[in-house]
Amino acid sequence: MADTTYRLRVTYGKTGRLRFLSHLETMHACERSVRRAQLAYAVTQGFNPHMKVGFGPALPVGTAGLAERYEVWLTRFVSPSEALSRLRESTPAGLAPVGVLYVPESEKALAASLTMAAYEVVVDGPDVGSDRVRAGLEAVVADGSLTLEHKGKTKVYDLAVCLPKEPTVGETQGSVVVDVTVRIGPWGSLRPEALVAEALRRSSVQGAVTCVTRTSLDPEGAGA
Amino acid sequence: MTDLWPRVEPLLAHVERPARYVDREWGARHDESASYRVALLYPDTYELGMANQAIAILYDRLNGLKDTAAERVFVPWKDMAAAMRQSGVPLFTLESCAPVREVDLLGVTLPYELTFTNVLEALDLAGIPLRSADRSEGDPLVIAGGPCAFAPEPMADFFDAILIGEGEDAVADIVAAHRVAKVAGLSRTDLLERLAAVPGVYVPSLYEPASPEVAAHPRPGSAAPPVVEKRVLASLSEHRTPECPVVPFMDVVHDRAGVEILRGCTRGCRFCQAGMVYRPVRERTPDEIVRDAVAQLRCTGHEDVSLTSLSTTDHSRIEEILRRLSAATRGAGVAISLPSLRVDAFGVEMAALASSGKKSGLTFAPEAGTQRLRDVINKNVTEQDLLDTVAAAFGAGWRRMKLYFMMGLPTETDEDVRGIGELVRRVLDVAREATPPAQRGGLRIGVSVAVFVPKAHTPFQWEGQAPNEEVRRRQQVLRESMPRKGVELAWHDTGVALLEGAIARGGRELSRVIERAWRSGAVFDAWTEEFSMSRWREAFAGEGLDLESLATTPHDPSEPLPWEHLSAGVDRDYLLGERERALAAETTPDCSFDGCTGCGVCPSLGVDIVVAGGRRG
Repeated sequence: MADTTYRLRVTYGKTGRLRFLSHLETMHACERSVRRAQLAYAVTQGFNPHMKVGFGPALPVGTAGLAERYEVWLTRFVSPSEALSRLRESTPAGLAPVGVLYVPESEKALAASLTMAAYEVVVDGPDVGSDRVRAGLEAVVADGSLTLEHKGKTKVYDLAVCLPKEPTVGETQGSVVVDVTVRIGPWGSLRPEALVAEALRRSSVQGAVTCVTRTSLDPEGAGA
Repeated sequence: MTDLWPRVEPLLAHVERPARYVDREWGARHDESASYRVALLYPDTYELGMANQAIAILYDRLNGLKDTAAERVFVPWKDMAAAMRQSGVPLFTLESCAPVREVDLLGVTLPYELTFTNVLEALDLAGIPLRSADRSEGDPLVIAGGPCAFAPEPMADFFDAILIGEGEDAVADIVAAHRVAKVAGLSRTDLLERLAAVPGVYVPSLYEPASPEVAAHPRPGSAAPPVVEKRVLASLSEHRTPECPVVPFMDVVHDRAGVEILRGCTRGCRFCQAGMVYRPVRERTPDEIVRDAVAQLRCTGHEDVSLTSLSTTDHSRIEEILRRLSAATRGAGVAISLPSLRVDAFGVEMAALASSGKKSGLTFAPEAGTQRLRDVINKNVTEQDLLDTVAAAFGAGWRRMKLYFMMGLPTETDEDVRGIGELVRRVLDVAREATPPAQRGGLRIGVSVAVFVPKAHTPFQWEGQAPNEEVRRRQQVLRESMPRKGVELAWHDTGVALLEGAIARGGRELSRVIERAWRSGAVFDAWTEEFSMSRWREAFAGEGLDLESLATTPHDPSEPLPWEHLSAGVDRDYLLGERERALAAETTPDCSFDGCTGCGVCPSLGVDIVVAGGRRG
């Protein structure tokens, strides 16, 4: 396709019940929103032509997101405000776009560039307090690494690399809220709820993670 | 209505594919204020049920009725069902996450005999008594419909009423009758009498079921009709195709837009229940079809559209439809799929028109291996038709083809079974010849051989099904006769076919067997890994019935059959005549184009064939 295309980057939320969608389901839903919005999208060449579209890093099933990203290549320019309003009208509320912008073709793909993910992890339980959660986290971070089992596989995370800054612990409305920023890399993405669960175990807190939200996704060094 | 979401949500972190249970899809309808509430149950998982067009049509139709809300219900997978039982969460509707037992009407489609235990699973999870007789005033009205409603006796005790035939108008009549009864404060018993007066509605509790001597008939004192005739639309144009059906998040079976382009099929294949019970042929016009397909693609954002029917390339103006639809969707990467192709070069031409260059695979159904047997079943396809089709398809660039056959058909001999292998061999030869030498290595013929199951309301309804051992022996004969290279052979499980046969023509006594099987753990029987033949054998034996003999014993035409008080409009004498012609290997032409063959549907139901164009292709 020699014609000019316009690379539209969409920021959207994945909230409420729709946080239970898998990454693949979310991708399909976003593509269908673009079709319903009647945006003129570019189609890939090849045996199985499909919409030219790219997605940011996957969210685990059950984790909400406030600033997820996808981008789609358009064959006709539409003003960002119009593109946003058309997309909002054609997307289920739980996946509603919150912003769009055009980005130059030279920018790296979303999955490669968005490596800093900030999460809010809510912990509830009978004796959950921020001090004990904080102590547990400090103990885990002091170890320098965290070994996790997921779907029968054991993985060791180097916390010096995976945690670009210290998690912070606060309290709101009787729940403890842990803010964790994770660096996504070739090793994958450390699940923040696994880190917090380990912290609870370390300080013998009777509690559980009840809600996880990815609050932002940024490139390395974007001041996050 | 109770909102169960706060109790459902915590379960979702621990189950497979939670998207099955969350609702909020594009096109899902939410109407909290409607005073009359319907739940539509497809008795299998979300991903199968969401592919069902009848559910989509009735969802649209019911939600369009004044002050009426229809919501979807599917059977939770085993992990979710266990979690729900453990935490005391009853079966819920998707849209408002309300308990199913709080709705006014629970509509259940019966797509296939092996989903029957799922109906009991759903009723149990909902906390609704399994049997109509045990329900009380506060329970929803439970009504079945769908293909298996034409021979429903094995499930009759579990339903308050059963709709025979097409639902578009009937559901509105049923809802209206129920609303009137509610306002009048009628008892459940009186309500059922009222429902029996709605055309097409069968209320099993008002009938004495058939015995070996006496046909089923209304109980003394009931005004229910002696024979319930199916509902049928005079013209499909009375109702538009749903414009904005629900768009699933999950990857479902047939994840695409769908427009039903014609209903019914009068080719007259003698084994085919759908061909007999959905008569006559009624086509939509090309204008309607293109309009509805474009509107649905736009509203849903689907990338593909399927033109559905029992025999899509039989539409008298299919070529015009495909040309116009391709033109209307050009450049959007939209693929058009044709679920059923007739066996001739025209079918291939139409597939080429629809595919716009993509050549994934073609499927044809010659059904039998010899001309004699194809004449017996009235599959009006010759070997030359098939070979011409193959030459056209492989000449046009297709490299894969799937062929459907059946075994165990009436009068079948080993020669017919070997005939399948020999036919496939000639198909391969023609396919190779039509393919450039360098590409012959990638050539594949998929051969799928199902076990014939005699079905109610067909000319073969009196036949015995081939016994298990005999089918296995013939499968061996088939394997030995089938070429190896370039052929992928698949055949059906003989146990599943036998059970399907026993239930498909069963009487009311089978309800006990089905309940017993479900109580011993049978659920999702249509899922190969969940099916247990021994469990079913025990359930039959436990009720003093023999599974094998129920399926394999032929019926004498003089003895009443369990479904003869339910009419699809086709004369019994016509079926008997077709049976005789079958045994004499005489064919019967297609009445949509070659003149009336006297099946009786049009005069008895006051309808006629509706063909959009002249003679077909």
